Amino acid sequence: MKNILLQLVLLVILFFALWLGLSKIDWMELLNVNYITSKTQQKLGELILDQIKNSGEENHDPKVTLPLDSILTGICISNAIDRSQIQLHVIKSEEVNAFALPNHQLVIYSGLILETRIEAELSGVICHEIAHMELDHVMKKLIKEVGISVLISTTTGNSGSNLMGNILKTLSSTAYDRDLERDADIRAVDYLIRTNIDPIPFAQFLRRIPESKSAIDQHLTLLSTHPDSEERAAYIIEFVGDVHGEYQSILSPDTWKNLQHQLK
Amino acid sequence: MNTITQFYYSPNEYESEKASNSYLMSLIAVIAGLPFPIINLIATLAFYQGNRKGTYFVRWHCTQALLSQFSLLLMNSVAFWWSVSVLFGPENLSNSFIGYLITVFLFNLTEFVATIYSAINTRKGLHVKWWFYGDLTDMICSS
Repeated sequence: MKNILLQLVLLVILFFALWLGLSKIDWMELLNVNYITSKTQQKLGELILDQIKNSGEENHDPKVTLPLDSILTGICISNAIDRSQIQLHVIKSEEVNAFALPNHQLVIYSGLILETRIEAELSGVICHEIAHMELDHVMKKLIKEVGISVLISTTTGNSGSNLMGNILKTLSSTAYDRDLERDADIRAVDYLIRTNIDPIPFAQFLRRIPESKSAIDQHLTLLSTHPDSEERAAYIIEFVGDVHGEYQSILSPDTWKNLQHQLK
Repeated sequence: MNTITQFYYSPNEYESEKASNSYLMSLIAVIAGLPFPIINLIATLAFYQGNRKGTYFVRWHCTQALLSQFSLLLMNSVAFWWSVSVLFGPENLSNSFIGYLITVFLFNLTEFVATIYSAINTRKGLHVKWWFYGDLTDMICSS
């Protein structure tokens, strides 16, 4: 019996020693994991963006892009996020939607900007999408929905436009897992508070969208992208709790009005 | 690691075949290419149940095959769910994860080689006793 126990202990020690020893090797560097991942994301991001640009024109008007860039930069600086790695794209569309693409590309439809009533609501949505990027949700969702082999085949040029269309649909109009969505919401609230932006309007925006669904039309894709809006608004408000900061806006009231005016 | 010793009696042809099959059953999932670690154990357990009332030689080797599958099930299950978590969940690819996969692969490979070696030798009527598992089987399996 004593001999068996000793052998068991030796077996366990051998297992953990081998694991510990092998973990000391920098496999990520050795197998070029980071390089391959980054190249795949870059290629995928470019392909999906091309698909978006085929369906809607990109808005390059500085009166639109500059205010949005100011909001984005303000959030990034306050949260120590590398602003240079995020590419912002404003697409002319009535759809109320915004989503993150691989390779840190943030797509905002003009319909969403028009639907937001104040800057803090839009900032909340931007923070939510940045959170998806920073938490590496985008690729995880694609791997889950589309499959790793299909994703690799798209980057090697073996993909048709139908497949890219499906990938775009996956990213823009289907929900993340409830847990991932919650993580992104909570992270977004953190980002907002650190930027001195009131997080409550973000929750109110989520709550308002389903209410106004019938008043607008089927373009409210954000609803289908992010289900359980009421529940999300509730836990955001609960998470914020009694935190009351001296909140401020990044844009001046005139700039915000001009931004919305430009998109009408 | 594995030692060939004299069994308490000389098994006949039928017993040798049955004992050899108990090891082959534990390879069934590898042959089928299934990723679920539980399949190996279920196959071995089913074979063990079928031979519970067999001769001592057959029971002894069924038990050794089953015990080795139990420990592999633990490490393979961790590897399986960790991989699922990396692909679909919050975990990220890391040196610890890759190190663990290689460790599990090496243990599986060792077990695979030992299993084939045991299947060949028990088929010849020889008694193969694994390090640790052999002593444990001696303790559990009564004549």
